[in-house]
Amino acid sequence: MSKPLDGIRVMDMTQVFAGPTCTRILADLGAEVIRMEAPSRMDITRSLIHVDNDGQDVPWERALYFTIRNAGKKEVVIDLNQPRGLELLRGIIAKSDVLAESFTPRVMRAFELDYEHVKQIKPDIVMISLSGYGQDGPLSDWSAYGMGLEPASGVSQLTGYVGGPPLRSGLSFTDPYSGFLGAGAVLAALHYRRRTGQGQYIDLSEQEAAVPLAGRALMDYAMNGRLPERIGNRSQWAAPQGCYRCRGDAFGEFSAGDDWIVISIGTDEEWVAFCQATGHAEWAEDERFADLSGRQQHHDELDSMIEGWTREQDHYEAFHLLQQAGVKAAPVLNGKEALLDPQFKARGQFDEIDQPHIGKRPVQRHLAAKFDEFDASAQGPAPTLGQHNHEVLGGLLGLSDDELAALEEQGVIATKPNLPVPPEIVSQALKLPYDRFLEIGTLRAIDEDYRQQLGLE
Amino acid sequence: MAKEALSDLRVLDLSQGIAGPYCAKLFADLGAEVIKIEPPDGDRSRSMGPFPNDEPHAEKSGLFLHLNTGKKSVTLDLGQSSGQALLKKLLENADVLVESDSSADVAKHGLSYSDLKSDFPNLVCVSITPFGLTGPYKGYGGNSLTAMAMSTIMYNTGDPDREPLTTGGAPAEYIAGIHAWIGALAALAYRESESRGQQVDVSLADAAACADEYNAAMYGFQGAIRRRFYSRHVFGYPMDIMACKDGHIVVIPGAAGFPQRGLTVEGAVSPMALLMGNPELDQNPLFQSGQERMIRWREVDELIQPWLDEHSKDEIVEMAQALRMPFAHVPTVKDLVESEHLQSRGFFQTIDHPEAGELRYAGHPFRMSETPPRMSRAPLLGEHNDEFGAPDDV
Repeated sequence: MSKPLDGIRVMDMTQVFAGPTCTRILADLGAEVIRMEAPSRMDITRSLIHVDNDGQDVPWERALYFTIRNAGKKEVVIDLNQPRGLELLRGIIAKSDVLAESFTPRVMRAFELDYEHVKQIKPDIVMISLSGYGQDGPLSDWSAYGMGLEPASGVSQLTGYVGGPPLRSGLSFTDPYSGFLGAGAVLAALHYRRRTGQGQYIDLSEQEAAVPLAGRALMDYAMNGRLPERIGNRSQWAAPQGCYRCRGDAFGEFSAGDDWIVISIGTDEEWVAFCQATGHAEWAEDERFADLSGRQQHHDELDSMIEGWTREQDHYEAFHLLQQAGVKAAPVLNGKEALLDPQFKARGQFDEIDQPHIGKRPVQRHLAAKFDEFDASAQGPAPTLGQHNHEVLGGLLGLSDDELAALEEQGVIATKPNLPVPPEIVSQALKLPYDRFLEIGTLRAIDEDYRQQLGLE
Repeated sequence: MAKEALSDLRVLDLSQGIAGPYCAKLFADLGAEVIKIEPPDGDRSRSMGPFPNDEPHAEKSGLFLHLNTGKKSVTLDLGQSSGQALLKKLLENADVLVESDSSADVAKHGLSYSDLKSDFPNLVCVSITPFGLTGPYKGYGGNSLTAMAMSTIMYNTGDPDREPLTTGGAPAEYIAGIHAWIGALAALAYRESESRGQQVDVSLADAAACADEYNAAMYGFQGAIRRRFYSRHVFGYPMDIMACKDGHIVVIPGAAGFPQRGLTVEGAVSPMALLMGNPELDQNPLFQSGQERMIRWREVDELIQPWLDEHSKDEIVEMAQALRMPFAHVPTVKDLVESEHLQSRGFFQTIDHPEAGELRYAGHPFRMSETPPRMSRAPLLGEHNDEFGAPDDV
């Protein structure tokens, strides 16, 4: 099966979430993606959240966050602080079509790997930098983590309960968002290169990338000088719209259970359909609720009426009942439910990979598009540390076995990290206190038999 | 030669609302000729606002203006055979067709991809729907909220004792638009080598689920079901929005902000202790253990909050950044527009429009050195009817 990026090689110096999302999409579309890490500076996600909460004697190979984002890529481990290491990297760049990186801007300049230098190595390269605040401007050298960039983009001011403070999403939201945009930007630049032979440089600031999400609020400010109020799950264009508690097994201190459904009623016809489907035809007779502005005005009252009904319902059953009546609704899925959801299953949202040191596990798609002609699925397991040192440096750069052995000896390349303490101690320190997380409610449950439930055994 | 990345492409945008139009806007801002096919009464976002002084006007809807920069507008009544014929004529020179669920009429009028495929084998047809064109939920209705519910992101956003919360700004619509754009570009690259088009099926639910950070993975690799806890991560505290003297900031000490056992040089003071001007804090067990901070977060708040309350946003974020801690601001749209940094990067674009006047628009989400994205105003309803031979009186 041919793929759109067959024959495209990507040198991937990105780390953590945004950059690896971008290059994972390129890999899923057929590009050969070669990641780079350093023996003393691994991707920090190799030290986050381990399979079965235990890194054992190879914590860097058992990190689930790293695995899902880097499935299907190759990897070299090179020490850039040794001149020979930098030379090897430049050699790979000279044979690449795309260079992706996500350091603070000063880092690439220090290695003389900024675009001005890189295009001397490979004139038609497409280079993309994903950074927190962009390559220039007063904040360009600011340190940035994903959790700070969603707020910095303005989105968090639009997120929150009515009357409450601004809130982050429960993930580093602008990271995947920027990674998606970055993949598209690379495809657009490759399109231009096919026509003209010209490469170019893409400067993606995560802060800026997500600002268009606030487009409506920006326009209201530009037109009316008005700042938006936080509206929770409500909408200007639909009422009632909200998230309602359903029947569910009680657990922990949350004795009411924790299953929810979202419902969104946009038109008067949908409102009537909702009332009939829920067995409350009398609600449709109430003139206060007959049109959108009336339903907006009485939203609080409607919410408690609706929750009176949903509390007796299973979230999945209510979802199908409402959808079949023509009402927009969806169950609020947790991680387990997403993996088991019939729609995601039917559409292949999760690919199964067989990961060394871990075993068979599901990894989510990073590109949602489903194509008639090919599949944008994970191309294989994530690479082990430096797994492709020989393949890339020997095969692509033509180094001999002796040279490779000497490089290993000198610590220029490696397949094991330089750790300050033995790996078992690292693993012990990185275990998350799940018993206590269950107590305070950060976790809902831990299923010991999850592999059977997912059909992995 | 045109210096825009996609200037050789023609896109027909049959979609309405947010996702499809945002996909087509990404094409338009990179130089493609995008012809927006609107029903005679216009894209529904023309009535969604916001409007100047809250007075509805089809040419002044902020959302429409924002999502349709750089496009041409042709009004067609696809219920009439003349409208269908003209659409087919336009398709003869089109590379991409963008359609969304609101173009359901398209199927009714024999204009769905399966009807078009044999006549237009090179066409890339992107279809954006709430749940997808296949699977048991095919045909179900939805929007950004339903997709965020499916994605697992919503379950993990908000307070533990309250309802899950969606992210502001209709994010799943935009994410689906981006995935549709990527899908179309990938299908165009495929067409270069295989000389045929195809359909690209993008659902809002799938697209939002692609953004999940590790909720599904925690179950798939551990059997752990993660749950919302003030939108916090499982691997560190604080990395959160907190109140200070004059508003809110994001407190992120980062990997090196607190003392690191075995790594911190003896006698060194941690950046957080330096920030708060109290080196003795490094002896506090809460400074020494990340896990203790996660569990005893209320005590962490008691330790930090009084200091935050005495200091301003600018003061705290600048001091923390000087100590290489990734603290951040929590700007409103007003703060963004007034940001010196964004101004120096020329991010916002001032665009004039014959009806709506001069307004400041969000800029392009990335820069390109050789083919800088350009933004020009959104079209008036049917503004380009003459150019494409569409009747004005439909």
